[in-house]
This record gives sequence, C-alpha cells and structure tokens, in this order.
Amino acid sequence: MAFISSGYNPDKPMENRISDLGPQHYEQFYPEVIKKNKGKWLYHEILKPGVLVHVSETGDEVYTVRCGGARLMSSTLIREICEIADKHCDSCLRFTTRNNIEFMVDSKDKVDLLVKDLESRKFDGGSFKFPIGGTGAGISNIVHTQGWIHCHTPATDASGTVKATMDEVFSDFQDMRMPAHLRISMACCLNMCGAVHCSDIAILGYHRKPPLVDHEYLDKMCEVPLAIAACPTAALKPTKIEMEDGTKLNSIAVNESRCMFCGNCYTMCPSLPLSDKEGDGIVLMVGGKVSNRISAPKFSKVVVSFIPNEMPRWPSMTAQIKNIIEAYAADARKYERLGEWAERIGWERFFDKTGLEFTHHLIDDFRDPAYYTWRQTSNFKF
Amino acid sequence: MELAEAKEKIVEALTKKAKSKSKFYFNDLSKILELKPREAKKLVNKLVEDGVLEYWSSGSTTMYGLSGTGKQAGAEHED
Amino acid sequence: MAKHKTPLLDQLESGPWPSFVSDMKQEAAVRAKNEKNIEYQIPQDAVEDLLGVLELSYTDGTTHWKHGGIVGVFGYGGGVIGRYCDQPEMFPGVAHFHTMRVAQPAGKFYKTDFLKNLCDLWDFRGSGLTNMHGSTGDIILLGTTTPQLEEIFYELTHKFNQDLGGSGSNLRTPADCIGEARCEYACYDTQDLCHTLTQEYQDELHRPAFPYKFKFKFDGCPNCCVASIARSDMSFIGTWKDDIRIDQDAVAGYVNGDFPPNGGAHAGRDWGAFDIEKEVVGLCPTECMKYEDGKLEINNKECTRCMHCINVMPRALRPGKEKGCSILCGAKAPILDGAQMGSLLVPFIEVNKEDGYAAIKEVIEAIWDYWMEEGKNRERLGELMKRQGFQKLLEATDIKPVPQHVQEPRTNPYIFWKEEEVEGGWTRDVNEYRKNHLR
Repeated sequence: MAFISSGYNPDKPMENRISDLGPQHYEQFYPEVIKKNKGKWLYHEILKPGVLVHVSETGDEVYTVRCGGARLMSSTLIREICEIADKHCDSCLRFTTRNNIEFMVDSKDKVDLLVKDLESRKFDGGSFKFPIGGTGAGISNIVHTQGWIHCHTPATDASGTVKATMDEVFSDFQDMRMPAHLRISMACCLNMCGAVHCSDIAILGYHRKPPLVDHEYLDKMCEVPLAIAACPTAALKPTKIEMEDGTKLNSIAVNESRCMFCGNCYTMCPSLPLSDKEGDGIVLMVGGKVSNRISAPKFSKVVVSFIPNEMPRWPSMTAQIKNIIEAYAADARKYERLGEWAERIGWERFFDKTGLEFTHHLIDDFRDPAYYTWRQTSNFKF
Repeated sequence: MELAEAKEKIVEALTKKAKSKSKFYFNDLSKILELKPREAKKLVNKLVEDGVLEYWSSGSTTMYGLSGTGKQAGAEHED
Repeated sequence: MAKHKTPLLDQLESGPWPSFVSDMKQEAAVRAKNEKNIEYQIPQDAVEDLLGVLELSYTDGTTHWKHGGIVGVFGYGGGVIGRYCDQPEMFPGVAHFHTMRVAQPAGKFYKTDFLKNLCDLWDFRGSGLTNMHGSTGDIILLGTTTPQLEEIFYELTHKFNQDLGGSGSNLRTPADCIGEARCEYACYDTQDLCHTLTQEYQDELHRPAFPYKFKFKFDGCPNCCVASIARSDMSFIGTWKDDIRIDQDAVAGYVNGDFPPNGGAHAGRDWGAFDIEKEVVGLCPTECMKYEDGKLEINNKECTRCMHCINVMPRALRPGKEKGCSILCGAKAPILDGAQMGSLLVPFIEVNKEDGYAAIKEVIEAIWDYWMEEGKNRERLGELMKRQGFQKLLEATDIKPVPQHVQEPRTNPYIFWKEEEVEGGWTRDVNEYRKNHLR
C-alpha cells in the first residue's frame, strides 16, 4: 500500500492549514418538511411502536420511523442507511442521542413501504439491521461506551453487554407496556464516559483489584510524579525497589486500601495495568432519571454490587436486569419511573419485590453524601 | 508580555523540572508566566504553534510539555 | 475465510438486536474483497485483527488496549485519542489504532452525501468502523494510524469544510436535543444556540486551557432528552414564564377517549379508560390544577413546569409564549466526589437569536473567567462550586440570590460573614473593650 498524500506537508504543518471550522451547519441537513415547519409543530402521536407522526400548524405532517442500531457501525452499514434514505426519505436522516436512527417521510402513504424495507434487512448472522421501536413507555436503545473494542481501562465489554441485554429485552423495545419509559445505559468503568449515573437501569463495569506494578519497567516508561498526580485518592507514592540482582529502581507503591480502581494511573503510566479476569465485572444501578417530570431528576443507586463477567452473553447480568424490569412492570403505577416506584414503595420493599440480596456493599460509605443516605427516621417497613 | 520573553520563561522553568517530570497543567504555565489564564493562553497557543510546546492528553485532561521531552514518546511507541 | 477464529463473538450474532459482530464481519469481508479497488492507507485486515483482539478479550476477560496521549493534529489539544494494542505482533492490523472525534452537526441531522463522503474518506484512511455517535455526541472514527491523522484532518477541512470535536481539558463538542426542528415542546431553538456557541468558542474547543473538561448541553424543555441537567457543566433547559396554553376542546377530546393520552406512549397495555383526575390533576406535583364542569384550570403561578400534563395531553396543552431557558451549572458523573446534578444559576434568560445570544454568552464567559482562575487542576466546575460555595458562583456572575436558587435554606448558621457586611467592621480597640470588661 503506497502512501497517498492529501496535500498536507509534514514539514510545514501550518501551510494552507484550515482550522476552527466547527461542525456543518445544521440547516443544510434538514428534510424539507422540517425546514418548513420548524417551530410550528403542534402535537405528536406514536402510531405504533417506533413510528411517530408530528403535526404542524401548517397542516403538514412528518412521519418518523425509529430504528435501533449498534452504535459501533461500519461504513458499509452507514452506506446501507444512506441507500434507504435515498430511496425513501429524500436523502435525509438523523440519529438520536440514544444511537437510534430516524428515517422521516412527509406523508403517511410512504410509511408502510419504508417500514417493510427496514424490517426486511438482516445481517448474515440473522439479527435485524434496523429493528423498529424505542418509543413511548418501552425500553429504548442503550447508550454506552467503548469497552474492550477500544478502551484501555474497561472492566467489561460494552458492545457485548449491550447486545446481550437488548436481545433479552427486545420485545420491550418493540412494545410500550411499561408504566413509563425505561432507559438503560452502560459504562465500562467508573469514569463513566457513558454518564450512566441518572439511568433507570445502569450497567457499569467495575474493577476490584488495584493496579499491578511493573517495577522493572516503570521508571523507564513513566514519569513517577505524573503517575502519582494522576491518582484521585492519593493512593500512590514514590518508592525504591531492590531487584533480585541488587539493582535499585525508582518505582511506585500503591496504598491498596485507598485505591478506587479508576485506572487513571494506567492512563498516565502503562506500567500500572489493572484489568483482571476475576477482579473485573459488572455493577447494576437503578432508579435514576434526567427528566424533571413530576419529580426532580435522580441519581441511580447501586442494587447489585458485583456480577462476574460471563462472556460472551453475560447471562447472570441479563437475568438480573430482566428480573428488575419485570418487578417494576408488575408493580409500578402508570407514569411512574423506576426510581419513583422504588421511592414510593420504599427501598426495603424494592429488595423484597425484586428478590435482590441486600449486602453491606450497598450502603454508602464514600465521603460526605454517604451519611444522608442512611435512614434517619423511625419510619420503615418490615 | 512579548512572545520571546514568554518562551524564555517557560523553557527555563520546564527545563529546570525536566529531571522529575515533563508534563505540566495549563495552570502551571500561567503561574510561570504570572499572567491571568486568558492572557497566558494566547502566548501558550503561540508556543504550541511554534513547536516549542506540545500537548499530551489523557483523553479527559490535557497537559503541556516541551516538544520531544519526557518518557511518554518511548512508552507510546511514537518516538 | 476469517483471519482469526472467533467462537465467543460468533455467539453474539444470534438474537434479534443488531449484531455489531455481524457488522464487523461484513466490513472485514468488504475490505478483503475490495471491489472498489481502494488503496487502503491502513492495514486492509484491520477489522479482522480488531475482531481477533476482541475475541482475545472475551477469552481472557481483560482489555488489550493502551492509551496514547501524544498523538493529535498539529495545534489542537483535542479530537484524537491515541490507542495501541498490547499484542501488536498477534494483531498488527490494529497495532496503532487511534480514534478521531468529528464534530457532529446540531440535532444530528444528515444528508446522505455528507455521510457517504465521510465513509469514503474513512475506508481509504481508516478502519471503516465508526460510532454513530460517541457519548458526548461526536461522530467517532474508530481506528487509524499516526501518519494518517494529519491527512484525515487535511481532507476533512479542505474537502468537507468539517472540523474535529473536543477532548481533554477543552470545551467538549456541545450537543442538543431535536428541539423546534421536530418537537412541539421546545422552548427555544436548541440547534441554533448549540451551533452558534460551538462556532463562537472554537478556540476553547480545540486549544485546552481549562482546568478540566467542560460541557454544554441544550435541552429544549424540562423533559431533558439530552440529559443536560445530569451531564453538562452548563445546562440550558428551555422553559416559559407565562401561562400554559389550553385548548379546552382538545381536553374534552382526551376525556372522551378521542385522543390517546401521552401521545400514545402507553398503548402497549390496557390501562383502562383515561382518567384526567387521576392521571393529570392528581399527579401534578404542585397540585395547581383542577378539572371541573368539563373545564381544566391551571393556577399557573404555582406551576413549576414539570411537563407532566403537557406530556399527557400534547394536543390540549402547550408551553406558554414567553419562552427562554434556565441555566444550571455543575453537573458531572460521579468521579471523584460523587455524581452531581446541575444547580440552578439563572432561573430565566432570554434566548435571543437576533443579538447573537449576548446575554447567554455573558454568563458563560463570567463562569469561565471564574473557573479558569479558581479551579484546581482536574477540577470540574461543579467541584469548584462545591469547594467554594454557590455564593462564589453568584458573585462571579453578578447574579442576585433568590429563593429559586435553593431547595431549602441552610440548616446551619455558620455564615462566613465578611467584614464589610458587619456594621462598624472588625477593627476594634481592645482597651476600649477593657473599660467595661476586666481582664
């Protein structure tokens, strides 16, 4: 493969350099019906799971067909999405914040053909390319992070746990039987690039072993003060290590009881790896939300402290998730989010109804806010 | 402050510390320059453009160092 | 024939949900065939090797990636995340496999031409794999080699008029909800505010000089579909000041069962006939509604605009006409001190396209000045607020304290009075004091 230059001259990086362009202007990408009716929409209705109509004060309508997608997406698949949009949607489409793909048409008679087309497309392995759903009081697509596909600090895989979970809850992606919408999110380590901290159900990868210290190489590969400064809990300090042959090396000592397993030191220093087959696994958190509807936004709470990684389909994890969802679906009131339900019935009742085991790991002991999460009233349920 | 003066201050301060570490936060640089962050930024940007300073990013945080110094390049196979 | 056997990943091809494994295999096959005769600039079998390294992770339960902090494009501190495989000899195709963040258009609307061009570039100079989109909102181009980074940037800027997104101690690529483009709830044009501010603050986005990352997110209404209140240092949430608009005929339509409640969102179960008393009036958190003699009344003064009634009856109820946004500050994910939700700083501000959003920019820049001066290394705005107190943020932005700023007033009296707030100041004469108080 011969190197082909774009025109860039590495000897003069600033020559003809263009910078600070920002993104494309949004308006050039609007479908005509959107451009014409922006700001004029009157109401919307979900016609069936995954199919919405929005009606404008001009009388115009836009029909949206929402499809789930893996956020890891090949150019081949994107081209197929483009082909569909070229065929049905005047070459326009959009993505949602939850990695769904939305195809829009401007009249009802175009919907059926589009839906049929989307439903007919499958991967060679048998899964749908464009499952329609993810609307209303159902389970939408999972927002997630990179995991083992591309990250250096994950405690689990992201795409795999998401695929396994979405297969398990697929009927609820295409249905709207839940008391309210239920949002699942996934982050593959506690740094939470996926910001799962306000989700109805959060899948979180978690390490449980402090970093290994590769003393022999550490001082060659890393700058000790930088690695030490990277630790958010000040668990690292400089040390001298005597090797078997008597040589003394600069290295790092880990105060293991202070380690919160974040991997920030590994980011700075490749001689401090922390992933481990037995140590790493999944935490489940529930009851968060971001909407201000009825009650204020809430953080998710840890209800399962650890589930081992079970590749390739994480059956214990998906079973727990399904169990929580069914308990919620059976017991919550219409419009009640998972966290609102748990608060109404009380968390002690949540553990009853889900059958989840309550352990000491679920009681907060991390810094200030912990105290206020303990029960400070004599009111509780037996 | 003139660019030449800024360059001299930064190179001197960073070289002095080069033995223990090669990467610095932006705040460290504005302290070296004894300037408010917004003023310091203009000069620091220019020093990056002139190849005196280079960035190192953890993905979430960015640090600055004298170009080509430190152990990162070796560890990251970019030397 | 696949380069690496992937028996574990193969099990992720079954089931209804789109299989990323099937998609990767499809891409690997397309690259192997190369029907378009592309002169691949990174290894043709990169996707095969990525499947191989992922299978290895599925076998040994650990990651095989290392971070790289040096690589980037010249003059930018963000937009590229360096990645190296820790088994480069087994998987040479992904030995160097860096991510590029490409700034997404506001609202994530696309025309196919743009996407196809991007695919052409990425097939030619990268792995052909993407994330549509990353968590912050960017288009993620997943996997290329170091020499290709500048080439890709050159082509993006010269051919596509397109820039990279943010990473590191930068303003991160701002993100917005669909807003007025296709939502009747939107109280301002989220796309225009998002795009305008993104363009205005390109320098902050590319050249890191902040203590840490900084995020803007724009939600058109309090439903918060882009989670701004939980995920952004500055959250712009659409709201209104005047009365909810009521169409009593449409209210009757809901009561009579002519329209499905909540836009049909609950159609998957038989919840019984719609009961406006129970489902709307009874669930109003401020109890400011009543339904009498077939008429719905709202005591708007007591309404906190939670959106519930509007969500349930979108044909009958609409946000008022005097619209703008609230600004909340300091949200972040848990690390380090615990998760923080955004705290209300500006209850209402006009979102004025005509003057280029001057009032909003003024608040943003005051906050940046404060945070850049006072923030410690790697301290998010929310953590600075926590360390120094909300009052400091009010001072920095010159905003008058109002009861809306708090959930409740303080439960301790330990007020740090300033000298100038106390009559007569703090300088006193001890001898004067001793005239009345013996030693």
